[in-house]
Amino acid sequence: MLQQIIALLIIIYFISRLIKEKNNQEINNKEFAVWLIFWLSGAAAIILIKQIDRLVNWLGFSGSGINFLIYLAVIALFYLVFKLRLKLAKLDSDLTTMTRHVALDNKK
Amino acid sequence: MKISCVLPALNEEKNITTVISSLRPYVNEIIVVDDGSTDSTAQLAAQSGAIIIKHPINRGQGAALETGDNYALKNGADLVIHFDADGQFLATEIPELIEPILKNQADIVFGSRFLSKKTAFPFGKRYIIMPLAKFFTRFFLGLKLSDPQSGLRALSRAALKTITINNQGMAHASEIQIKAFQNKLRVVEIPITVIYKDFGQKLSGGFRIIHDLLINKLIK
Repeated sequence: MLQQIIALLIIIYFISRLIKEKNNQEINNKEFAVWLIFWLSGAAAIILIKQIDRLVNWLGFSGSGINFLIYLAVIALFYLVFKLRLKLAKLDSDLTTMTRHVALDNKK
Repeated sequence: MKISCVLPALNEEKNITTVISSLRPYVNEIIVVDDGSTDSTAQLAAQSGAIIIKHPINRGQGAALETGDNYALKNGADLVIHFDADGQFLATEIPELIEPILKNQADIVFGSRFLSKKTAFPFGKRYIIMPLAKFFTRFFLGLKLSDPQSGLRALSRAALKTITINNQGMAHASEIQIKAFQNKLRVVEIPITVIYKDFGQKLSGGFRIIHDLLINKLIK
């Protein structure tokens, strides 16, 4: 119970930071919505941890609900790293295009 | 017919003058794309009479080739040769390389280290890296050329207009071959000699090429 309260307090802190960033226009509506959903899902998972335990059991996984959430988090992280890698590759490609323009313009 | 040679170069001050001199009898213009060198490659190339295009920062061999190709196209090249600045290719083999294009029998000619001429490969390259590279390009990319990573090639103006190199690094060699077949260009392979001064591309470089080809496909 204490662990759940601490986890929820941490989430409340991050949501308050998120609202502050939104008010300061440091993030756009889409980013705000994505992160808000992320933190609210985390809060829901903490509050409903017993139900998740039962769901995981019903699905036939060994281990507790919290383990299941960690597996999901790892999958999400892999996906985010992959997306980030693609974004970097695109930026790298754009940088090459710019370098080429500069090089050819200097040659004129 | 205007024949241009595109020479991507990165810190090649030891070889650039010799390579340019060796190319001179066979081509009308030599375009050196200095890919962010920190030595005197560009100055020496300019003194040797080459056209210099300077990348302010290093972008990779594929990127440098594409820059050189763009310049050559704009300046009316009818045939472009891709050549290495480290002196591993023989300029004396250029007439054989461009002959199929001059005779209108090909749009693109790839030099191959695995046809009849003798290239003294390092052991690991001949028996491990190149067979793996060939397996990958044959089964996953459907390429049936004997040398998937040859850097010596000649392209007609039509081929040059058709092929845009998107891979900045060493994956450009496979990319050019893939695009040549995708665009139904007439492809010819001729034997060439390569003089290895060091090991060249390592096994990790091979994995890097596969990675780059996949990433490039995904960001398009």
